[in-house]
Amino acid sequence: MEDHKTVQFMRLLSEDSIGSTLSSDSCEYYQTEIYDLLPSVQAVRSLHGGYDTQESHGGPEPEESRGPRDKMSQHPLRNLAMSMHGKRDARERRKMQISNNGFIKSWSRSQSINRKRIQAQVREMGFSLLPWRHILLKIQARFGVGVKSYFVFLRYLICLNLLHCALIGGFILGPTAFYGRNRTESLRFNKNDSVLDFFLGSGFLDRSPVFIGFYTPGSLDLSCLNTPLLYLAGILSIFAFSLIIAARRTTVGYKHTWMLEKRTSVNVSFKIFCGWDFNIQDPAAAMLKHSFIRNDLKLFLEEQSFSLRKAQRTLGQKVRLYLLRFILNLVVLSLLGGAFYLIYFSTMLSLTESSDGWFLNLVLQYLSPITITFVNLILPHMFRKVSSFEDYSLTVQVNATLVRSIFLKLASLGIYLFFVFKTRQTQQEKSGCRENQLGREMYKLCIFNFIATFCSTFFVNYPRKLLQEMYPTSLLARLLGKQRFLIPFNVLDLVYVQTVSWVGVYYCPLLPLIGVVTLVATFYIKKFSVLRCCVAEQRMFRASNSSVLFHFMLLLGLLMAAAAPVLDYYQSKQPNTISRISCGPFLNQESVFNVTNKCVKRLPSSAQTAIRYLSSEAFALPLLLAEIILLTSYVSRGRANQRAIERLKDMLVMCSSDKRYLVKQHATMLRGQKNAKRGRPVAVEQKTPLPSHLAAD
Amino acid sequence: MGTTASHLDKEALSEYQVNVLHKLLKKKSCAHRKFRELQNKEERSNTTSRVPMERINELPELKSNPFKERICHVFSTSENKDGSLTFEDFLDLLSAFSDSATLEIKSHYAFRIFDFDDDGTLDYDDLKKLVNCLTGESEDTRLNDDEMKQLITNILEESDIDKDGTVNLSEFQHVISRSPDFVSSFKIVL
Repeated sequence: MEDHKTVQFMRLLSEDSIGSTLSSDSCEYYQTEIYDLLPSVQAVRSLHGGYDTQESHGGPEPEESRGPRDKMSQHPLRNLAMSMHGKRDARERRKMQISNNGFIKSWSRSQSINRKRIQAQVREMGFSLLPWRHILLKIQARFGVGVKSYFVFLRYLICLNLLHCALIGGFILGPTAFYGRNRTESLRFNKNDSVLDFFLGSGFLDRSPVFIGFYTPGSLDLSCLNTPLLYLAGILSIFAFSLIIAARRTTVGYKHTWMLEKRTSVNVSFKIFCGWDFNIQDPAAAMLKHSFIRNDLKLFLEEQSFSLRKAQRTLGQKVRLYLLRFILNLVVLSLLGGAFYLIYFSTMLSLTESSDGWFLNLVLQYLSPITITFVNLILPHMFRKVSSFEDYSLTVQVNATLVRSIFLKLASLGIYLFFVFKTRQTQQEKSGCRENQLGREMYKLCIFNFIATFCSTFFVNYPRKLLQEMYPTSLLARLLGKQRFLIPFNVLDLVYVQTVSWVGVYYCPLLPLIGVVTLVATFYIKKFSVLRCCVAEQRMFRASNSSVLFHFMLLLGLLMAAAAPVLDYYQSKQPNTISRISCGPFLNQESVFNVTNKCVKRLPSSAQTAIRYLSSEAFALPLLLAEIILLTSYVSRGRANQRAIERLKDMLVMCSSDKRYLVKQHATMLRGQKNAKRGRPVAVEQKTPLPSHLAAD
Repeated sequence: MGTTASHLDKEALSEYQVNVLHKLLKKKSCAHRKFRELQNKEERSNTTSRVPMERINELPELKSNPFKERICHVFSTSENKDGSLTFEDFLDLLSAFSDSATLEIKSHYAFRIFDFDDDGTLDYDDLKKLVNCLTGESEDTRLNDDEMKQLITNILEESDIDKDGTVNLSEFQHVISRSPDFVSSFKIVL
């Protein structure tokens, strides 16, 4: 990564030495004759014979004729920054060049051009296959890149879940459908099944392929190709795929942020140079963008003076502040503790069987999802309030709130899982399948989250908006205030859903499919909510910043999800519990280890030893060592590159100051001689010597 | 070069980044229609006729853009620097702002747009005008002088690598090349 970036840095510089000569220059020292005498200028000029300086009228044409031919002619024309007129000239020239070459050469050239064209078209086709481009454009035009990044993330999750569905279909559903026993009787609707089962995941759904209990070892019973093994392979491949994708995305995003923030803080320059979003068409959105940029800049300046003030704090103030922060953190901790206790309590309550009325039963069954959702809805806003009392700078405030919310969200899920695992164990099951019950919990969480999204949009946000539209002056409407689309919290919701889906996929293989359906619905609901109910927010999230955070959260969720089944498995293996795995592909004595062991034993002996070695500790040590060596080499290379960059920068500064000094000297000398000759007309090199000197160095 | 899209030969078309536009041109030319709407009747018959900047800026895609005048100036090939555009210039504009234009092209044109006095570097006054464009032109939306000074000092500290008091194209591209957001935000879609 590191050296690639350095190369690009160099490339940009050296390319610029060709391309930066776009217009005439007003700085006096560029107009002196000494520039024509500089060796680097002459070197560049000799590369092309007669170019006419008069031909250009301020436009960028000359620069293409100026570059080293062979290099420029490699580029496709469309990647050159010049006007249509210039391009046409360039094409003519290239054609001439081609016709001068031999037949084979020109043929291969045109072939390569065609190939590039086809590649570009294929790539574009691929992009156009992604759905909802117009909706995204519309959202972007009104709310900017930040909100769009939420929807892109949502689309990405849908694609991910579709991939999971394909894997499940290939590894689990396909073989089961093909080789499975005749199980149609379980798929029939019994008379004691009801619609309620779809919410509770009991009864009819309990027997359906939704849950793990359906997948008993089938007739496909080869030692290395049987249903349990395929099931395992399917789940493992899902985890592996997700891990690779999420890790890749995180590292790519992290690289950007790291380059952006740590080494070279170019924050303000970004705000200025990349500040305007040219997609914005709506005048109101443009106004908002103006005010956003203004606030952002003011915020930056304030933060600068804040850090100044922070440095000037007295000891007493510091002590008081730290005390305050300590107390507030205690408050946060107690809030978290209370939330966790509430979850525990509701889980316990929902486990007590009761049979008075279907509605009460439904509420009771859904008590823990309701509690979790409720807690997740309320607490982040309280955290926001709390962090405003701590005397942090604003970005730290936002980040602190976010980190606390992430912790809350994932931890509440973790706590819930823990209690479910634990209580399910102590409570010897009456209803048969323990795995199915775990799957059912996840199913309920998933469904309830979707219901919550639906309800909060159509029963809270939309009426609020209507109220504001109809009675804009009423007290209630003013109290409620305008609605903003809070990207971090919405993304947290998505990550939460995805984590639930990952945790549950082992127990409930059809969860990804349900996930796809709910996410697609969520997309439209959120689209409605954004376009209809929300106003663009004052503080925008920068898209790249957020994307690394999104994917990092996703990675955390994935790790948790992977830990859950493993934990569950070991817990169920503990000797003091009598509970045995009672359903699913791993019936009775068959465990994950048994199944794989059987398979390995059937392999040829050389393969067996290889696998044994790969899974032993003897292999782990060399692996670790190799990784360490690799990492060390990368780190040291990165450091060396960094030092090189520093040196080059220093050289650049020196060169430019030398040059300015020399040019000034020369100019005064010339003026002293009363040489009436003015400098060259236009478009003479301005800074070209600098980078080319460097490159030569 | 005729008045209708079909007169643009295919070879020429493929040289533009406007893949989107490319398609549109095949579909009886959205860009061309847009452009014709801006032209007068007598101008329509003339192939190289120019549309004045004021009328170009009426386009909804440009209307709320604070840099619309600069954009016209940069892409105009007019000799008397009035920012008027021919159809070709208009295509140039769209291709630079299209999806498939590379980062280098985009940053090149961005630099020229931000370079208000066309002198090839962004100096203090350019940056000041740029910031004013971003925050809004009116008196109460502007930053005050102290803030402006502090801000520009910060900008120069960060991105003026060779410390000559201005930001030149290579320094500008150096900053831009590390911004993943730039390509997606420097875009105008018809």
